[in-house]
Amino acid sequence: MKQIPNDEKAVVIIGSGAGGGTLAYELTKAGIPCVVLEAGPFLKNEDYRNNEWEAFQQMAWLDPRTTSGSWRVATDFPTLPAWIVKAVGGTTTHWSGATPRFKDYEFKARTTYGDIAGATLLDWPITLEEMAPYYDKAEMAMGSTHRHGRPALPANNNYKVFANGAERVGYKLYATGPYATNAEPYDGRPASIQDGFNFQGDKNKSKWSTLVREIPRALETGLLDLRPESHVVRITHDASGKVDAVVYADKDGNLHQQAARIVCVAGNSIETPRLLLLSESNRFPKGLANSSDQVGRNYMRHMTGSVYARFDKPVHMYRGETMAGIIADEAANKPERGFVGGYYMETLSLGPSFLAAFADPGAWGPEFAEIMEAYANTAGMWIVGEDMPQATNRVTLSETVRDKWGLAAPNVHFDDHANDVAMRNYAYEHAQALYKAVGAIDSHRTPPYPSTHNLGTCRMSARAEDGVVDKWGRAHDVPNLFISDGSVMTTGAAANPTLTIVALAIRQAEHLARELKAGNI
Amino acid sequence: METTKRRLLIGSATATLMASTFAKIAFAKLPLDLGGDSDAKKTLVRMIRVMFPHKKFADAPYERTADAVFRAAGKTPAETIAFLTSLRELQESGFMKLDDKAAYASLKKIETTPFFKLVKGTTVTTLYDDPEVWAALGYEGPSFEKGGYIKRGFNDLDWLPEPRIEEYAGAGQ
Ligand SMILES: Cc1cc2nc3c(=O)[nH]c(=O)nc-3n(C[C@H](O)[C@H](O)[C@H](O)COP(=O)(O)OP(=O)(O)OC[C@H]3O[C@@H](n4cnc5c(N)ncnc54)[C@H](O)[C@@H]3O)c2cc1C
Repeated sequence: MKQIPNDEKAVVIIGSGAGGGTLAYELTKAGIPCVVLEAGPFLKNEDYRNNEWEAFQQMAWLDPRTTSGSWRVATDFPTLPAWIVKAVGGTTTHWSGATPRFKDYEFKARTTYGDIAGATLLDWPITLEEMAPYYDKAEMAMGSTHRHGRPALPANNNYKVFANGAERVGYKLYATGPYATNAEPYDGRPASIQDGFNFQGDKNKSKWSTLVREIPRALETGLLDLRPESHVVRITHDASGKVDAVVYADKDGNLHQQAARIVCVAGNSIETPRLLLLSESNRFPKGLANSSDQVGRNYMRHMTGSVYARFDKPVHMYRGETMAGIIADEAANKPERGFVGGYYMETLSLGPSFLAAFADPGAWGPEFAEIMEAYANTAGMWIVGEDMPQATNRVTLSETVRDKWGLAAPNVHFDDHANDVAMRNYAYEHAQALYKAVGAIDSHRTPPYPSTHNLGTCRMSARAEDGVVDKWGRAHDVPNLFISDGSVMTTGAAANPTLTIVALAIRQAEHLARELKAGNI
Repeated sequence: METTKRRLLIGSATATLMASTFAKIAFAKLPLDLGGDSDAKKTLVRMIRVMFPHKKFADAPYERTADAVFRAAGKTPAETIAFLTSLRELQESGFMKLDDKAAYASLKKIETTPFFKLVKGTTVTTLYDDPEVWAALGYEGPSFEKGGYIKRGFNDLDWLPEPRIEEYAGAGQ
């Protein structure tokens, strides 16, 4: 593997997940050497465990975090606001694979939805038209089913219930994808064996992640210096205000410094703003790149919830691809439903270990036992829709809690917006109606899990005062600092975010390569 | 568990004694194990069964869960003492003689106590994480080593028609 000296001014990427891993591959492919600093270990597919709690303990980001606000996660999981992975490949190792694109109007949320009280809506500085070629590239990279000649995955049991229910309530836009897992061998990786373990890492490598594609390919170019167990604790800058190095702690807590000519931050939407806030200085007293005071604000997590339904016949929802089932009929802006924006319905399955913890956190007694008792006859779905950005939904530094390096832990504050609540209630009702239409004896509403989609905390904006980065992900305040993950999302759209994160990273890499060649950075 | 297992007798007197004895030694590392036949363990097992009643579960997973609760309760001497005291109180209240409904009602009264929450929290992540329980619930667990579910019923549901898997080809998409 390439070794870039610590005093050589390198292109430094922080994080190796959807954003960072993609950027590393695209840049090295274009002949640009990169250092990738990844806080987590370099686990391989064979290290993964087909066991919910063991996998979670092995890979989740479990550094101290705190929560506040009226969201239920703050009560049920006060130290676990989000489910994010700390390992090479980032959260793409645990993701399931749903890859819908954002819609045209979702890039123009402020214009489309108007002035919604309490929301800090903004139009993106880019359009779907500009994104379309990058969506194509991302779908091909990730091997999304139903796209570019990739065949559909077959129907598993959970999908059979879901799709039949959809048909009976009159939905049309249902299918087993788009879903970034191979239905047939593709791109050097095998077809799915429907092993049912996605959230635990896919041992079979049929599911796309930067661990199976971008990272190994970037390493093959001979231009990637990948440093696992390297937790970046500060980004420093020179007298002119340009970033010039990053400081990171290795696994034993020893500090190292890597000189940088460009820094790209892709630590996911909680760690990215945290790192900028931790990097405050005399010149940037509110945190690096934070003259707008927008770093950490407008945190979005999608309107989510789940519905599990019981039948008098077996379902065995856990057999097969977890989320290979999508209904898009409700993913449209129809304000007559009582809320703006739309949502998707997607199949979801948890094993008994996780279902017990998440089905109705805190519940006990015969009714709870009945839910668990019906496990084999249960079908499940997730609802995921656009939530409203709010200035007060925010990642800040804790005044009291420190991580093992002594650094301030992030606090995640979140209150549902009235629009989020209205959408969730509507979505729950329609999900339950769908299952009823296909013969459910009963169904129950499961509240949001710790956030798997974390967005918006360094948002893209046309005007510097409205956000943190420009249309290329470049910090408004710092010309050689880039943000390369879901934090840049101006608004969240209804779709699962990863396809868009990857598309944005491919686009950013092209821009960076062009600018570097032209000598502009 | 890396530390030796200890058999502890429960009683207010022992609890007081333990407080003074264990405060001096590295108590935080001692897992509590109250043994298969102690009254304390029987009480805890019954408590867990009333909280999470499954007729089709044998006693063994409930007993393993009780052991996990004892371990979780043994983190600090203060927690241990509080736990043992609460358990003792439950025992003395005649809990074992109550029928299921009355037992449920008596637990309902203490559901906001740290004692109850500890039992509940540990049980939720232990009882349902037990392979014997998985089997009772009809969950087949790890599958990669067996070639996944692709040949083991991932699509064997036969009480509904085969749905379309392709995207809708009609108008209005
Ligand atoms: C269970 C689950 C299911 C999901 N399913 C879907 C789905 O179906 N579709 C979809 O679109 N999305 C899904 N997601 C979300 C998806 O995983 C994320 O959107 C995506 O991975 C985010 O990419 P990212 O680059 O922002 O961050 P990540 O992929 O989380 O990568 C960030 C990386 O940065 C590292 N890092 C953080 N801070 C530092 C630091 N200071 N120094 C060094 N390294 C650091 C982290 O260790 C991590 O490896 C799912 C997520 C989960 C948890």
